Amino acid sequence: MKLEMGHINIKDVQFGSESKIADGVLYVSEDALRQVVLEDEKLKSVSFDIAKPGESVRITPVKDVIEPRVKVEGQGGIFPGVISKVGTVGSGKTYALKGMAVVTAGKIVGFQEGIIDMTGPGADYTPFSKLINLVMVIEPIADIKQHQYEKAVRLAGFRAATYIGELARELTPDETHIYETCTMKEGLEKYPELPRVAYVQMLQSQGLLHDTYVYGVDAKQTLPTILNPTEVMDGAIVSGNCVSACDKNTTYHHLNNPVITDLFAEHGKTINFVCQIITNENVYLADKERSSDWTAKLCKMLDLDGIILSQEGFGNPDTDLIMNCKKIEAQGVKTVIITDEYAGRDGKSQSLADADAAADAVVTGGNANQVIILPKLDKVIGTMDYITKIAGASDETLREDGSLEVELQVITGATNETGFNRLSAR
Amino acid sequence: MDTDYIIITNNPFVASEYGEDHLVDYQEESFISLLQRVQRFVYEGHELLSHPLSGSVKPKETLYKSVLIAKKVAGLDLSSLKLIDSSIETCEKFHYKEETNEKNLEDMRFVDYTLISSAIASADV
Repeated sequence: MKLEMGHINIKDVQFGSESKIADGVLYVSEDALRQVVLEDEKLKSVSFDIAKPGESVRITPVKDVIEPRVKVEGQGGIFPGVISKVGTVGSGKTYALKGMAVVTAGKIVGFQEGIIDMTGPGADYTPFSKLINLVMVIEPIADIKQHQYEKAVRLAGFRAATYIGELARELTPDETHIYETCTMKEGLEKYPELPRVAYVQMLQSQGLLHDTYVYGVDAKQTLPTILNPTEVMDGAIVSGNCVSACDKNTTYHHLNNPVITDLFAEHGKTINFVCQIITNENVYLADKERSSDWTAKLCKMLDLDGIILSQEGFGNPDTDLIMNCKKIEAQGVKTVIITDEYAGRDGKSQSLADADAAADAVVTGGNANQVIILPKLDKVIGTMDYITKIAGASDETLREDGSLEVELQVITGATNETGFNRLSAR
Repeated sequence: MDTDYIIITNNPFVASEYGEDHLVDYQEESFISLLQRVQRFVYEGHELLSHPLSGSVKPKETLYKSVLIAKKVAGLDLSSLKLIDSSIETCEKFHYKEETNEKNLEDMRFVDYTLISSAIASADV
């Protein structure tokens, strides 16, 4: 598969009477976007706001962060199986609006997930403080169930990102990056001497606020399988989870997974980047055994020399992580794990809920229990009502001077386990 | 419904939703007490069928937990033992959060319900 990713660099976002992109500025008609968002009758109202890097702004509670895209050539469409019809993506030409994102925010359940600070020490721990964020705070109609509201907000975010991405269809990208994958046979013929390496990505799949979707299929219902990495770059996987903020993969993370881009950078040079394998993190223990057996079997069948293995979450997924690692290593395939840690506030506790001697090559995404003081900021987009309820916060979080004493857990993307953060070892 | 598992829970919503046609062992107790109860079942020879640390709302940040165990007493299963013991140990690094807001409690109960429902969906196949 050959995918041309065109980058449209957005240097500013403003509200305007008409939605368009001109000279690197995205103008958004609030009325037009409101119609797109409120297409779903389960949503009562939406307010829009723009948060720019360096501003004294806090966005909370954050549900998802999405990069607007448009498919200009080739098979499939944006967010296949979710917004566009099901169709294989990962080839042709896709444009991405760089430097900005759509952020969905709003109360879904009582324990709210995710803070993005656009300035201050908190800003250092989230990649999203570097983007211009178009934030949508969405209110549901009365008497709606939590899972209905979650789905409605999730899809509203994708609709908004698709609407905005469409504005770039006729533009010329500022830069273009080409990603090309080989078939198994092509790779063997072209790179006979290079180590065969794959990326095994574990997807969160446990229930409400803990789900991921692959071509629109709930990852709980999937068996481990192979993808072209360009499919993931092109929107095959989207997020339905936001708990907890620090190590959830937002849709933005899936679209811009640095493990994939870094492996592509080495493809044909130091490694043969064979494929991506995705697997899940179900609650039922037999599902964990089945999925890890299957993942190890695929690694063996593909004659891999090594894999990078990233997980999503903590606790229950640690069991999957170690099962995957042990079983893949037992097949003679080397593993390197990327994970974050919950090592306690003093950093002295065991980092994972499970361990094994086979897991001897581990890259950390940081300690999610690390405490940080976030200063009071001038403006909040969303609500601070639930700030003590976020995973990583407590009843002591809100201090007298308005600052927040919290764990890194609360910051969206702070210890992300694809390494999309500043805490990882390089 | 004749199932080969029992739902051990401290979540009244799970008890009410599944109580009629599933085997539910409900007690009103703390999160850690629920895990200790599961541990006793494991020591008695019941295999653990779902992960005690399901969900990313951390132990002690949510009050509710539901866990599936096998109905049959088959003898001590070492991997179940290791899992429940390490799950209880993992809880020690998290700080207890008090929650009194009824809407928040309802949400916690509902999320726990969806987590155990995903396990039940697999168990019922």
